[in-house]
Amino acid sequence: MSIGPALRYHWNVNLLGRAGLRWVRWQAERRVKRGAHGKSHILTPPLKISARTKELIGRHYLKGRYANLRGKVAWVTSGAPIEFLKALDFYLLYPENHGAVCGTTRTAVDICAQAENAGYSRDICSYARTDLGTMLSCQTPVGKLPKPDLLLTCTNICQTVLHWYRVLAHHFDVPLILIDTPFVYTETTDHSVAYVKRQLEEAIPIAEEVAGQSLDERKLKEVTRLSKLASELWLELLGRCRHRPAPISVFDQFIQMAPIVEMRGDNFTVDFYAAMLKEVDERIAQVIGAVKNERKRLLWDNLPVWYRLRYLAEFLGRHGVVIAASTYTNAWAELTPKMDPERPLESMARTYMYPILNRGTGDKLATMRQMIDDYRLDGVILHSDRSCKPYSVGQMDQRDRLIRDFGVPALLLEADHNDSRSFSKEQVANRLDAFIEMLEV
Amino acid sequence: MTIPAIPRRIDVIRTFKEQGGYVAAVLPIHYPRSLLRAFNILPVEVWGPPGIKARDGAKHLQPYVCSIVHNALSFLQSGGLDITDILIVPHTCDSLQGLGSILLDFVSPKQPVIPIYLPRGKRESDVDFFANELRSIYRQLEAITGHSPTDADLLQSIYREEAADKLLSELHRCRRNLPFSNLAFYRLLRNREHLPAETFMELAQKALAQKVDTTQDGGIPILLSGIVPEPMSLLGAISQMGGVVAADDLACCGRRLYPPGQSDDPFRRIAERILYAPPDPTRGNSIKERLEHLLQLVETSGAKGVIFYEVKFCEPELFDLPQLRQGLQEAGLPSLTIEMDLNDPLSHQALTRLEAFLEMIQ
Amino acid sequence: MSKIQALGLDVGSTTVKMVGLDAEGEMAWHFLEQAEPLLENQIARFLERARNVTGPLDGIPLVATGYGRGLVNQATRTVTEITCHARGIYRELGHGGTLVDIGGQDSKVIGISPQGKVIDFTMNDKCAAGTGRFLENTASRLKVSLDRMGPEALSVSDEVSISSTCTVFAESEVISLIAHGVSIASILRGLHRSLVKRMVSMILTVGLTPPLMLSGGVAQNPAIRQMLEEETGQKIILPHYPQLMGACGAALFALDA
Ligand code: SF4
Ligand code: SF4
Repeated sequence: MSIGPALRYHWNVNLLGRAGLRWVRWQAERRVKRGAHGKSHILTPPLKISARTKELIGRHYLKGRYANLRGKVAWVTSGAPIEFLKALDFYLLYPENHGAVCGTTRTAVDICAQAENAGYSRDICSYARTDLGTMLSCQTPVGKLPKPDLLLTCTNICQTVLHWYRVLAHHFDVPLILIDTPFVYTETTDHSVAYVKRQLEEAIPIAEEVAGQSLDERKLKEVTRLSKLASELWLELLGRCRHRPAPISVFDQFIQMAPIVEMRGDNFTVDFYAAMLKEVDERIAQVIGAVKNERKRLLWDNLPVWYRLRYLAEFLGRHGVVIAASTYTNAWAELTPKMDPERPLESMARTYMYPILNRGTGDKLATMRQMIDDYRLDGVILHSDRSCKPYSVGQMDQRDRLIRDFGVPALLLEADHNDSRSFSKEQVANRLDAFIEMLEV
Repeated sequence: MTIPAIPRRIDVIRTFKEQGGYVAAVLPIHYPRSLLRAFNILPVEVWGPPGIKARDGAKHLQPYVCSIVHNALSFLQSGGLDITDILIVPHTCDSLQGLGSILLDFVSPKQPVIPIYLPRGKRESDVDFFANELRSIYRQLEAITGHSPTDADLLQSIYREEAADKLLSELHRCRRNLPFSNLAFYRLLRNREHLPAETFMELAQKALAQKVDTTQDGGIPILLSGIVPEPMSLLGAISQMGGVVAADDLACCGRRLYPPGQSDDPFRRIAERILYAPPDPTRGNSIKERLEHLLQLVETSGAKGVIFYEVKFCEPELFDLPQLRQGLQEAGLPSLTIEMDLNDPLSHQALTRLEAFLEMIQ
Repeated sequence: MSKIQALGLDVGSTTVKMVGLDAEGEMAWHFLEQAEPLLENQIARFLERARNVTGPLDGIPLVATGYGRGLVNQATRTVTEITCHARGIYRELGHGGTLVDIGGQDSKVIGISPQGKVIDFTMNDKCAAGTGRFLENTASRLKVSLDRMGPEALSVSDEVSISSTCTVFAESEVISLIAHGVSIASILRGLHRSLVKRMVSMILTVGLTPPLMLSGGVAQNPAIRQMLEEETGQKIILPHYPQLMGACGAALFALDA
């Protein structure tokens, strides 16, 4: 890094930016203290640590904004094995998380329109459309995204990311690393694991070349250790929702999960979740629930509806219904035991083959069953996400089995995680009302 | 201009079974034909099929899943595949992944279901993995049929498919010198989807014998890209409007002109053939490769425009379109996109678009 | 009236139009009716009308275009509405650009070269969003007549945003807006905006080469015109008879023969 850009980076990120973000956090903290988030008689105000979450996310994108000045940037998929890139000092941008930011800030539709105007069909995943919209127009609520020097896509969540990243590779004309993770229909095979491991090994030299440095084995172990630590804390945190009343709801989890996805492998992420765990335990000690007057507890399946989080939380909360767990937030926790910092590549190959989206539809049903028992849940909402076929195909049978074989009420809710044009408020309200009546709250 | 007599699909299946063979229903796109044949299994492909009552599938699949997958499941559920002994579901895309999985976990048809994972690259690691995947499929087929073909049996079967593919490529190459209409030509080609290679070769040879030296069809040459030309009336419509399909980049046809393999190991050889085939987004080829391939097809066929004929909701295809179209445009080639649903007849609007496109490139 | 030398018939989904040209290619006669379910009868009546002004039709070439072009047995030839619109408008305005045609069932955007050739075009996809029908359906729910829709929409400045582009969803959205006491005029404004945005997106897929021209029945709607100008930043050029461009183009093709 030459001195000019380095100075500019330091000035913008560490001096100006940090101060700015502290100010924002301070304000947010005051708001939480004052209870400005509405003296809701339905929902408990957000965790105090939410102000810190905002700051972390803000800092992540601030660093991103100037990342091209400081070093190399990789765009990566949410389920990708990123530990080796992190150890090579890449700044990592997660277009899916960025998509979620656009979703929650309700800017996604406008950005998607940029992609649609360029000919991208409205039938492709709305995360991809959001990202391609930003790629084409530079429009984003976070200021500016850094250009990638490298792309890493991993098919353990879907094939969509393969097609999407090929478009990015063509546009930015940078190398694309593919980690192809054979879908686990029933059980994984040795040759699949060997294949993933080999691709990881072969990816390293490509990344090293872009990074201009070689991978330090110790650093890789350290990153993997931190990744595992953060995931463990996340796992514990989710587990706290077994308590009645659930101290936080999935709507809180959706917001609080950003660091575990896009900042895993960093030590501040570990501290952050440790602090959050403490606050959640205080809530439990005081018997405070996310929904005041909790009466029924549900499971959420599939991605969040990013642009309607609050609406849904309040709608359900009004009837004393809390969503205490989700297969989605669980995805970043359930694999924790498989990680082994001492054998990073080997264990990564196994870990990264097993996310819920890379496992069969029957296995997902089993996971849901297990969660219903563990968390003592009364029903399931399956968000049928028009954008996400790998998550959604199978839900119709899963729902049937839940009702028929296990006697668990289950609702299929048609929407889209990022494209609010596929969300009909009237229809959703109707279905939720009927479902709540069925739960007999 | 006579197309050789084509045996009916159902007769082919019956005859094959009467002679002691098995029949496998195979979903799109790529799969190891020669491996199946070595076990005396006849692969019969299921591209939809179009125009059936797609009701049964709707119990298991959301409306935003493509009609190929919907129809395949509906067809299975309504007994359309009862005559087959095995179901092969290649992992082609997220939707077929889902179908394979619900077949195994929830629908549980009477036939055993074998999913095949296709790697998304053509690196050494991909070839090795795929060869191993094929070995594991060998073991599954062994368990089902009780046969254990030797390497020599496998190689013999591979050579036969290679010979059939060579003739298939030859047919593609001579397209403009064959006295067949668009529809007749594609009917002929698509027999490869269910005829045993040896029968197909006879047909192909008869067709090639009618080759002439002059270009036969005076129409406006176009390149047809997409998954499958269904409903087939599309091809008749193109003829009627004065167009001729001079080359194709269809998943069911041109993208499956598998080159011969190199290796002497049968499993590797099959893997090489499939992974080194013409570019296909479902096998992870880059947009650059696809664009180069299209431009090359245009050059050899003299096509004056490209029609992307897409299945609604087909993500693998839809992602590439803008950059492909842009690349074509930069090379001075107009293109058109039409979306279809297997269960709808060709819409009036689609026909108008086609016609206007042909008027435009004339 | 100068002698009619060629006829163009545009059989659209909402209206049927016929144009007669003189030897110079100037419009000498035209006729327009709402489309009827029994198109064959209606076409026969149109030809009868033409006969009344021109005398016997023998020898006068007729080109048919539009959605029902295949039903015109008397036609010398058929040409699609895309090519005909481009031809018609080029003849009248004398320059290329981007032509937007919002029809009842189909909407299209056509890129026209400076020489009057079609370079690219797109049409709305299957659903009715982005066509005249989208407005019609929802407007009839609001009990506003078609020709009042535009002026009504422009009569207010506040506008609700209609997020659904799907006609079915939009309808339920409209119903709930009414239930919430939102004024009909602002709902109309929102509906127009939604349609125009959809059109802009189609324009951008073809690429916006100025000037922007508008044809079709909806061209008479002032709200559409104004909003299209706002959203694209381009001044819109209207031909004299926006609804007749297809028929004109067809007649010009007939004159070639
Ligand atoms: S939402 Fe689904 S389809 Fe889209 S990137 Fe994520 S996993 Fe893939
Ligand atoms: S048409 Fe596309 S989405 Fe459908 S099965 Fe084929 S590849 Fe998959």
